Amino acid sequence: MATTAETKTQDEQWEPRILAFCCNWCSYAGADLAGTSRIQYPTNVRIMRVNCTGRIDVDFILAALEKGADGVLVSGCHPGDCHYTSGNLKLRARWALLEEALKQAGVDPRRVRLQWASASEAQAFADGVRIIVDQVRKLGPMKEAWK
Amino acid sequence: MTAQEEPRIGVFVCHCGHNIAGVVDVVRVAEYAKSLPHVVFATDEMFMCSDAGQQLIRDKIAEYDLNRVVVASCSPRMHEPTFRRVVEEAGLNRYLFEQVNLREHVSWCHMREPELSTEKAIDLVRMAVARAAKLEGLPVKSVKVTPRTLVVGGGITGIRAALDIADRGFEVVLVEREPKLGGNLVKWNHVFPVDKSGKKILGPLIKRVKSHERVRVFTNSEVSDFDGYIGNFVATIRNNKTGKEEQVEVGTVIIATGFKAYEPVEYYAYGQSPDIMTLAEFHQRPGDELLKRPSDGRPVKKIVCIGCVGSREPGKQGHEHCSRYCCTAVAKTAADIRSDVEEVVVLYQDVRTYGKGHEEFHRLARLRYVMYSKFPREEKPQVTVADGELTVKWHDVLSGDDFEFHPDIIVLASAMVPPDGIDDVAKMFGLTRSADGFFNPEHIKLAPLTTHTAGVMIAGTAQAAKNATESVVDASGAAAKAVGLMARGEVEIESTTAQVIEDLCSSCHTCVAACPYGAIAMDESKDPPVAHVTSAKCHGCGTCAAACPSSAILMLHSTDEQIMAMVEAFLTPAPEIGGGEA
Ligand SMILES: Cc1cc2nc3c(=O)[nH]c(=O)nc-3n(C[C@H](O)[C@H](O)[C@H](O)COP(=O)(O)OP(=O)(O)OC[C@H]3O[C@@H](n4cnc5c(N)ncnc54)[C@H](O)[C@@H]3O)c2cc1C
Ligand code: SF4
Ligand code: FES
Repeated sequence: MATTAETKTQDEQWEPRILAFCCNWCSYAGADLAGTSRIQYPTNVRIMRVNCTGRIDVDFILAALEKGADGVLVSGCHPGDCHYTSGNLKLRARWALLEEALKQAGVDPRRVRLQWASASEAQAFADGVRIIVDQVRKLGPMKEAWK
Repeated sequence: MTAQEEPRIGVFVCHCGHNIAGVVDVVRVAEYAKSLPHVVFATDEMFMCSDAGQQLIRDKIAEYDLNRVVVASCSPRMHEPTFRRVVEEAGLNRYLFEQVNLREHVSWCHMREPELSTEKAIDLVRMAVARAAKLEGLPVKSVKVTPRTLVVGGGITGIRAALDIADRGFEVVLVEREPKLGGNLVKWNHVFPVDKSGKKILGPLIKRVKSHERVRVFTNSEVSDFDGYIGNFVATIRNNKTGKEEQVEVGTVIIATGFKAYEPVEYYAYGQSPDIMTLAEFHQRPGDELLKRPSDGRPVKKIVCIGCVGSREPGKQGHEHCSRYCCTAVAKTAADIRSDVEEVVVLYQDVRTYGKGHEEFHRLARLRYVMYSKFPREEKPQVTVADGELTVKWHDVLSGDDFEFHPDIIVLASAMVPPDGIDDVAKMFGLTRSADGFFNPEHIKLAPLTTHTAGVMIAGTAQAAKNATESVVDASGAAAKAVGLMARGEVEIESTTAQVIEDLCSSCHTCVAACPYGAIAMDESKDPPVAHVTSAKCHGCGTCAAACPSSAILMLHSTDEQIMAMVEAFLTPAPEIGGGEA
């Protein structure tokens, strides 16, 4: 039953592989609540917990895409609600550079998504997952996009 | 510390009864884990957090000489502290533990996808193992706890908490922004489940708290600045009248900022006639005018009370919750005034007199011929005002009939909503708010009084809509939490702070500007000067590490290396065994 590269070469069998970074205080908790509330969303996302979205170096995201992630989702506290006051704003400032870097490398910036979802916004979190999965599905596998 | 030793990782995959194992093939996940680098032991187990599960971890650490432990189970927000303690009991440093969230993030949100869930679980375990191999033990730090509590809000919750703490021998600083203590409750002229006014109930407590030798009361005051960390906070208290500021050092904090009664503009013609008022306004009318019509002073003969005003409205932000006081407050109020008027009609969606002694008021009201009539949620009563006369029309669910009534006054039992300024309080103390607008507890079931800011508790209606009895229970609970911390005198803090790798620092000052806490300064004694982090001030957000162009900042327990190990592990799967072509 193990899925190997061989069984997944067909286009219709390709499933987007998406990495998510969630800050511990809002979005990771929001994702927990999505589970507790049994909100169902696509399985494509692997969540990594960071203390704050401010911790996220643009290089992490670029490296993930370079190594073959089809998309990257970053989810944090709403502006003004960051547990550390402003880490999310710092990341937001870097986000424009990320998108620019992606464009220059010929990668569609819709492969990355920055969203805000509080600890109580389980639905918003799940909806965000759905959005990036749909976006990336349309764009196709990463390895074909990377120049 | 442990960088040199070869990682020996144990992986424990939890069934959580049927919760995880009902969706994820946990046996396959554990089998798979055995194939991963550095994993010397892997198994699956019914309940990892049970005594048996905990013992299993300790036993296997000893048996296999494990120096890293990965538990794949529920959210680390729930049981990370439990498992950290377990590995510590077996002699491992707590930071050598890593948890994988297979329940909240896998089985519960992909319930109909067993195959894809198992794949996801396998990926997550592989990522966690890769990170675990890079984990390092960190010294466990503890700090002293200043034996003084800051209580914000001087309603019944704040007062009760202050007295509990002071009576146990610790100092309290009680800050209330109004000129007087007492909060909302002091305004109500009939308080359930006793037969007294709010003033009567609170009077003696206010007197005692004001004269207590260990309590300093600041009225007309707010906290204007707040800094520090558990055990060692500094609060600046500003008197809004005089503008004077004073700094106090405190070890613990209780937030008891309460609620406000919702002003139901857009409901039931509120604001169109002085004879339509909220229950809160009705309760604040002077005793001798209580049953006189505000518009013309004529005696009130007929009253309509309407329940759930701005409460229990699915889809309306901040108004979805049940306010929990109103059904009983309406029943008690109606029963109390029934004999002084001709008719009292209560229009309700549901009656929820759930508390100890509350249903008795509901029964008493009915016994005294208060009329109860249920209206449909989707078809609320219509209130109109014409020439100063009030008309209420509604559909009665139980009889199926439509009614029309002309009361002298209408009393609206309006929702409990957060008080003004709650946003500033949230920001200052690092609190988040739930969908009802009130502060989020650390855990809604297991830790309802503590918050994610260590050392800061919430109590009473600051946490959720509730009645005074429940608020007092909270107050004593939060006080016990604060006293517990102060009585121990010392508390452990996270060691997950930033460190500067001085050789890499290019003295660019980027981190100094990035840190939201001013925890980084240039150490000018070095040549060239290098950045230096004061760890006591560092909250561990990692903003500096992400901003540093020279990668000169090491975020302990969240290093670039540890993060990249997970990213790589996700995308370059190790060969699988036990299925497919290995
Ligand atoms: C109409 C009505 C009738 C009720 N009747 C009953 C009843 O009969 N029986 C019953 O058990 N319950 C009743 N309740 C509920 C009861 O009023 C509350 O449970 C109780 O008042 C909660 O107390 P508290 O201290 O948590 O909050 P509050 O009473 O709201 O006190 C909070 C205090 O904090 C202060 N504060 C707020 N923000 C700040 C800040 N930033 N800085 C400093 N201070 C601040 C406020 O000024 C206030 O003094 C009723 C509620 C309503 C609306
Ligand atoms: S981790 Fe955050 S709080 Fe700590 S020094 Fe860096 S920026 Fe400041
Ligand atoms: S803690 Fe959530 S974005 Fe900073």
